[in-house]
Amino acid sequence: MLRSRVIPCLLLQNKGLVKTVNFKDPKYVGDPINAVKIFNEKGVDELIFLDIDASSTDTEPDYALIEKIANECRMPLCYGGGIKSVEQAQKIIKLGAEKVAISSIVFDCSEIIDEMAAVIGRQSVVVVIDIKKNLFGKYEIYTHNGKKKIKQGLDKTLSILEEIGIGELVINSIDCDGEMKGYDTNLADRVRDLVSCPLTILGGASSQENILNLIERYKVIGAAVGSLFVFKGIYKAVLINYLDNNYRDKIFKIAGERKN
Amino acid sequence: MIGIIDYGSGNIQAIRNIYRGLKIETFIVKGPQDVPLATKLVLPGVGAFDEAIGKLDQSGLRSALDNAVLQNKVPVMGICVGMQIMADSSEEGTLKGLGWIPGSVKCFDINQMNTVPKLPHMGWNDISFSEHRIFDGIDKNIGFYFLHSYFFYADKKKDVIATSCYQNEFDCAINNENIFGFQFHPEKSHANGIRLFKNFSDILQC
Amino acid sequence: MEIEKKSELTVCSNCVMDTTDTKIMFNDEGVCDHCTTFYRDIEPFWNTDDQSLNNIKRVASDIKHEGLGKQFDCIIGMSGGIDSSYLVYLAKEKLGLRPLVFHVDAGWNSQQAVNNIEQITERLGLDLYTEVIDWEEMKDLQLSFFKSGVPHIDTPQDHSFFATMYKFANKHGIKHILTGGNYSTECIRNPKEWMYFQSDIRQIKDIHNKFGTKNLQRFPLTNILWHKVYLPYFKGIKVYRPLDFMPYNKEEATQFLVDHFGYQRYAQKHFESRFTRFYESYWLPEKFGYDTRKVQYSSLIVTGQMSREEALELLKKPAYDPKTIEDDIEYIANKLDISTSDLIGYFNAPNKTYRDYKNQQFIYDMGAKVLRAIGLEKGGKR
Repeated sequence: MLRSRVIPCLLLQNKGLVKTVNFKDPKYVGDPINAVKIFNEKGVDELIFLDIDASSTDTEPDYALIEKIANECRMPLCYGGGIKSVEQAQKIIKLGAEKVAISSIVFDCSEIIDEMAAVIGRQSVVVVIDIKKNLFGKYEIYTHNGKKKIKQGLDKTLSILEEIGIGELVINSIDCDGEMKGYDTNLADRVRDLVSCPLTILGGASSQENILNLIERYKVIGAAVGSLFVFKGIYKAVLINYLDNNYRDKIFKIAGERKN
Repeated sequence: MIGIIDYGSGNIQAIRNIYRGLKIETFIVKGPQDVPLATKLVLPGVGAFDEAIGKLDQSGLRSALDNAVLQNKVPVMGICVGMQIMADSSEEGTLKGLGWIPGSVKCFDINQMNTVPKLPHMGWNDISFSEHRIFDGIDKNIGFYFLHSYFFYADKKKDVIATSCYQNEFDCAINNENIFGFQFHPEKSHANGIRLFKNFSDILQC
Repeated sequence: MEIEKKSELTVCSNCVMDTTDTKIMFNDEGVCDHCTTFYRDIEPFWNTDDQSLNNIKRVASDIKHEGLGKQFDCIIGMSGGIDSSYLVYLAKEKLGLRPLVFHVDAGWNSQQAVNNIEQITERLGLDLYTEVIDWEEMKDLQLSFFKSGVPHIDTPQDHSFFATMYKFANKHGIKHILTGGNYSTECIRNPKEWMYFQSDIRQIKDIHNKFGTKNLQRFPLTNILWHKVYLPYFKGIKVYRPLDFMPYNKEEATQFLVDHFGYQRYAQKHFESRFTRFYESYWLPEKFGYDTRKVQYSSLIVTGQMSREEALELLKKPAYDPKTIEDDIEYIANKLDISTSDLIGYFNAPNKTYRDYKNQQFIYDMGAKVLRAIGLEKGGKR
């Protein structure tokens, strides 16, 4: 049976990997290629790469880097960050990525989803939505690395995306980003029933047990993980890691149980 | 030498990388003149059925491929949409498929699905297969990575060499003589995928 | 590429060092000066008996005492290699210390190294601190060394390890640093011609000035006087080598960690870094004729862990793996953002030595003389 996916999510800034907390204070964590190589050798399910400055600085994707990253991946790669055109998406797919993630452009021009789908296939179009709670606890959408608030509400956005049809939805919690205090399951609950496409939750994974709990809750879901797979311990030592065999087995088991 | 068909669809580079890692030479088949040079062929493909068929027609490769595969029995491996276009037709489009293996391409019935997610079928899924040398050394529990909303429905059960389960059991690997088709993405399925490519390369004349 | 004319090499009759070390000297029995230095200056004073163990335990006790109430009482630099990995285990389990495990990520960590660091620190319940070197700067400095034509192109990595660790210790007022350096596998050192002093900042700066393309703003730099004189004598930061105080057999230690800590083996010493692997197994032997296995095996020979016959047999094969070397070359070039033909170009360029660039050799020579005279350093590089 289909298994849930556990996906390391890496952030790019100035050719280097960084990790943020609540989308702020990027801390340099090293060379992206070496990280990809190690994740590849560990046999991770998939990989997400997001260029966090591209939207704000309005720059072209770093195609040379994408090509190098894709060359090291024997698992699916999703690349995002400042993608605004079908040509860019097509180029990224040609370089070897499986999926392209778009975010801010969806709010300027939602037609781009169909346009991209026509060229690269709907299954390869991923929409990433960054979300932060306002003072009253209401979930609001932000773009441009958390700097620009979007007026359109979450529910409306999800209903539009469901109508259009996308390959995957990634919900990224700005409040949980880098905190390693647990996924926002309230947010996940809220979103899960509003879209029928594959859903991936990003932000806050605190431990392997936390990842497992997310999967147990939703049975089939993408658990994207940032800081947890890059840092270790109280000093946040940079050390690439992934699920151990024990947890991988448990995730297999959850999938297996669905057959019965 | 193994020829990877470049007709504008599919992750050619990933397939090349895998064979490079295996130290097996490949070359890119771009035009009909390249086809006869291939001892085996890999036909990748992503996106929509009609689009893939359309691109294949535009590339001018179609008849050379028909000849190589159907007359000369050159082993060929279709991946994802590359497998789907081997069918006669697809619910997704209006154009005719290659018709290399009798069958049609259908969409997963979302009306029968009562849980989310529905489409596409995305992620690692296990497969069931009966003994076949193409699956030598493959761990069926780990399976492969799938990313699709349509699947191949073979007319003849004997052409099905593996199935997977998404809502219901569906055909995920087909084979008739020299023709192989895989719905999943072996080029993105770590060790299982690498092994599958190796097995394909080892196949002797069918 | 020069084909080594083996018939023209003279090999030590005791170990496997030979005249590829151009400064080697032999006595009447054909025994080289590496061996005689070991037998004369190191072996008689190197004890791994119970008394020695008690000595280090006493030192550990003092360290523990000083560290009471603090989060950790010492730091251990860990690369993921066998020496530092085993040391971490010993420090915690045998010496009862509470080390902070310190790792410098220079961008070349192999998957095994990362796994080994994770497994050992996790299973021993130890805290880990890492410092990540700015990759763009490291790349620029490494390329400068390639372009310079000198043999010691691993200097940027080595230098960054020590500089970072010393800076960290100094900044946080840590007085005790444990390292995995040991006589057991390193009593015979790489000749200076092969691996010049990685701490010579004058050399680094000169090579970078001549061949670098970007400023080194974040790259950690140190200098020999600062960490060999100022830190120990003025700030009281001491460096210990506990592995010298107890029996240390590399193979037994490795198997122990494999059995109990999920440790993954490497093909050879220093292979925890993919760059070091390429450098020692291919670049040094093939471009310069310097095979570091001879140094490593010789250490194992004089300490009774390997026979000379075994070493000679292993040396018959190339240090690099002919099956993977093309991939390795491509990997290195790719990672350094150059083409394979550029890398091959550096390989074919004329060989230079440390003397072709500015250096502080005189300080090292003077320091070595002083330290040997007062008995503080035995053996060492020459």
